[in-house]
Amino acid sequence: MSNALHQLSAVELSQRLQAGTLTSRALVDALIARYEAVNPKVGAFTALDIADVRAQADASDERRRQGKSRGPLEGIPVAIKDNIAVKGQPLTCSSKMLAKLVSPYDAHVTEQLRSAGAILYGRLNMDEFAMGSSTENSALQKTFNPWDLSRIPGGSSGGSAAALAAGLVPLALGSDTGGSIRQPASHCGVVGLKPTYGLVSRFGLVAFASSLDQIGPMARSVEDCELLLQVLATPDARDMTCFDASHRQPLPVAAPAALRIGVPRGFLGKGVAPEVVQALESVLDFYRRQGCAIVEVDLPSADLAVPTYYVVATAEASSNLGRYDGVRYGHRSTQASNPIEMMTNSRSEGFGPEVKRRILLGTFVLSAGYADAYYVRALRARAKIRAEYLGALAKVDVLLTPTVPTPAFKVGEKASDPLQLYLEDIFTIPANLAGLPALSVPCGRSGQLPIGFHLVGAPQSEAKLLAAGKLFEAAHGFAHQQAAL
Amino acid sequence: MSQSTASSDWEIVIGLEVHVQLHTRAKVFASCGWGFGQEPNEQVDAVVLGLPGTLPVVNREAVERSILFGLVVGAEIPERCAWDRKNYFYPDNPKNYQLTQKDFPVVVGGKVEIELPGASRNVMGEHKWIRLHHAHLEEDVGKLSHAGGGSLVDYNRAGVPLLEIVTEPDLRSAAEAEAFLRSLVAMLTQAGVADCDMEKGQLRCDCNVSVRPRGATKLGTRTETKNLNSISGVRDTVIYESARQIRELQAGRAIVQETRGWNAEQGRGYVLRDKEDAHDYRYFPDPDIPTLLISRDTVQRLQQQVPENLYDRQRRYMEKLALPYTAASVLVAQRRLAEWFEEAVAAYPANPQGIANLIANDLLRDLAAGSAESSGEGVSTTPAKTVDDCPLKPAQLAALVKLTDEGLISKQQAKEVFAEMFKTGQDPMVIVEQKGLKQNSDTGELEKIVREVVADPAVAKSIAEYRAGNEKAINALKGPIMKRTQGKANPSLIDQLLRKILG
Amino acid sequence: MAEGFDIEHLAKLARLQLTPEEKVLYAQQLNSVLGHFRALAEADLPAQVDDALVVSEAALRADNPGPTLGAEAVTRVAPASRDGQISVPRVVDDEA
Repeated sequence: MSNALHQLSAVELSQRLQAGTLTSRALVDALIARYEAVNPKVGAFTALDIADVRAQADASDERRRQGKSRGPLEGIPVAIKDNIAVKGQPLTCSSKMLAKLVSPYDAHVTEQLRSAGAILYGRLNMDEFAMGSSTENSALQKTFNPWDLSRIPGGSSGGSAAALAAGLVPLALGSDTGGSIRQPASHCGVVGLKPTYGLVSRFGLVAFASSLDQIGPMARSVEDCELLLQVLATPDARDMTCFDASHRQPLPVAAPAALRIGVPRGFLGKGVAPEVVQALESVLDFYRRQGCAIVEVDLPSADLAVPTYYVVATAEASSNLGRYDGVRYGHRSTQASNPIEMMTNSRSEGFGPEVKRRILLGTFVLSAGYADAYYVRALRARAKIRAEYLGALAKVDVLLTPTVPTPAFKVGEKASDPLQLYLEDIFTIPANLAGLPALSVPCGRSGQLPIGFHLVGAPQSEAKLLAAGKLFEAAHGFAHQQAAL
Repeated sequence: MSQSTASSDWEIVIGLEVHVQLHTRAKVFASCGWGFGQEPNEQVDAVVLGLPGTLPVVNREAVERSILFGLVVGAEIPERCAWDRKNYFYPDNPKNYQLTQKDFPVVVGGKVEIELPGASRNVMGEHKWIRLHHAHLEEDVGKLSHAGGGSLVDYNRAGVPLLEIVTEPDLRSAAEAEAFLRSLVAMLTQAGVADCDMEKGQLRCDCNVSVRPRGATKLGTRTETKNLNSISGVRDTVIYESARQIRELQAGRAIVQETRGWNAEQGRGYVLRDKEDAHDYRYFPDPDIPTLLISRDTVQRLQQQVPENLYDRQRRYMEKLALPYTAASVLVAQRRLAEWFEEAVAAYPANPQGIANLIANDLLRDLAAGSAESSGEGVSTTPAKTVDDCPLKPAQLAALVKLTDEGLISKQQAKEVFAEMFKTGQDPMVIVEQKGLKQNSDTGELEKIVREVVADPAVAKSIAEYRAGNEKAINALKGPIMKRTQGKANPSLIDQLLRKILG
Repeated sequence: MAEGFDIEHLAKLARLQLTPEEKVLYAQQLNSVLGHFRALAEADLPAQVDDALVVSEAALRADNPGPTLGAEAVTRVAPASRDGQISVPRVVDDEA
């Protein structure tokens, strides 16, 4: 089994394709067989156009034969979360609202993947409009944790993490607004990176909360994640928040010298499961043995992160999701006698409960009489949190915490309590508020269930995070793991 | 408070919000082009339509035209400006939020000089300065039309760059509002900021009106009449709405702060049905457009493009060039015409008035006739002809005035030469020679004619009067001399010879 | 309801139609969430916030018209259309 194609890393697959011992078509056929056997159990993909991916693979093989390989991902399938535009493919955001939408254009990252030679391999399930931490908010289907099918895979990029853990694809794209790449990566035992805000263009990413959203790479190893990041992280004039060439730092750096690792005081306290604490202690021990200095740092405003996040994110979301009204595209209600009624009914029929909840919350925090107490204060709290993180990261190279306080919970376990779910993101949210890069790397197990640790670095310190992650990964057996299924 | 009864006891206070479509090729946040008269929804791209995943990118030209406007009106151009989202649902608003600038507009302050109508057309009216509060750069919305049982949406106009220019409540009458808009349009068009074609909806106004007893310091309750698309609409609205408010107050009723519309056909205003909840726009900074830093280099570069102020130019023409108000006001109304005039004056600085008269009377008349000819019957769709549409060059017009001043041709002949120049673009001297119009300046031949005329007994009476001290009597002799020379004689030479011969 | 959370008003602003059960449920859930935002109300925060992101004029777009979708593509994705325009139920006129 160790040689099965679906178990190989993207780096290994790329070497075999280059060596001519593997064709993209053979790889895709193996993955399609795996998809047909496993996806019905896991529910990671919402769409896979088999004829199209075979044609893409054949075209890649033909390019290779002609010596016209495009780039580092030539012939490698990359699966894409269903909120990132691929021309001619569905762009549902796992919402009834956009269930029939076919994208007329490519996202910037999609163009990058195409020009790197990648096979655009299917659409991945997610929480509706990326709102959730369990993928249970998908209006299309359920996704299950491949390590324990009775549990959630995390979210909102649950389809991406589950597809990787189930060996359905070697690389996947996720998006992360408050932890939506890292939290499911942790729950599914894979690697996920949320880049620095502005490193990857958001053009073609369906907005949830524009000032927090970033597209990022997910894979079964840190090395694969880095390979994918290099393709994604390029300037794009269509996103004014995306760094231009002059504001970018080069990605690859040499292996880190002895890092200074900061551990936020009190982060391993209440609410963190004992097995997660234990796994973290062993990670810290490892780095200490590598000669890294472990120091405690203070982040006094950490308690503000969750409320700040939910005010900012829902405020932006309430506006971003205003465009879904049934007029120009998407679901239109047939029950209406005037445009206002038509918009209202279309939205009420098209959105699921969590989306409505967040739109209502976001509308409230921006509404007359409340904006100053909520939205404006949240912006000020965000500035304070950012300043504290940048201050801490001036003293240490990275901050290390668990990715999630507890391992994956049971499907339906927290569905009735939105607040409990919001606390899933307590460790991941600050990186979004502060615009910092953050990486989740598998580091242990609670029974079958994976546990991840979380590194946050200064702006554009991705290379440092990836190097630190690789150091850990090389010494442990967690990379490349897949659920048996 | 005692109720005033005469309308002159009331002061009208007006503030305007003027929406101007900027002169750009592409839309303000999308690369899609725009223009008038296209088929519905042909000028729409993924960004304009607000498709999921699309993002705005600000058009540089739209920003620079906005800055240029600010410089034209002497406003502050802050070092940073930012965009906000104004959230409201309507089918013509593709994202259901409009990108606008609430807290950090591109232009702050500024003032516009206006000229009120004078007592007659020949008399310059009072000048006054109207302060601007700010101007901000935002996007236009689409258009809704009604057809049968439904409504149709066309997004061609959505995303067109709009500069919203907001005045302080400094205007005091319909005439001032009208004068302000005329001045504003002249400044916007002369600087190339906007075309302001009102027939194409390129300039639209919201008009805030309140009244208060004369002498009161507190502003009255105002109403806002929305979406006026002509200067006359604004003028008529002010007249109608101020009269209505005065009537209400005189009847002891309070003014309701409300949004109103204007029916131009019927010449009356009406209350707009309040869209429910329309007043909670939930503004917040647009997270897709970072705060934009405006470099001082850009401001300096654009400062070079600011044309001379309309009324500075008018004052200069009247004071330095001694032009009458009528000619000066006509020349400064169009930037190109004024520049053309100045090129002519540069070529022949001795007689700016002569040049101005030829332009104001002859040139503009012929240009207007040409415009009417080319547009034919019905509604004119071709733009009025400008000085650049005729073959005549400023230096040629200057040469014509010079020829006249030097006495080579008469003023009457100059008009004939001008008509030919306007058609052919030939130099005046060429035309004069072709037509044999050159005045006779041969003293010997002319002296002979003068002596013959003086000897004619028919003029003896005039000669006697002249010799008796009546200077004007000499003119009676000039007609017969001109007649004998078929109008070719140089009038000043005739004058000289007559005086010499008559002693 | 110390927060003054008016679920009907918010639903109207957000153009959402809620069932009576949904109104009760969302009001209760959102009040519970807002209760946890109290830390935000009580925190000592900076008075002034710097712009999170700034760009120079280099980030602006040149004024060059690019491709359009065309009316055909616009109406193809629209739920309903007529003569190149998107059709919606009749808008109630402001002036009858």
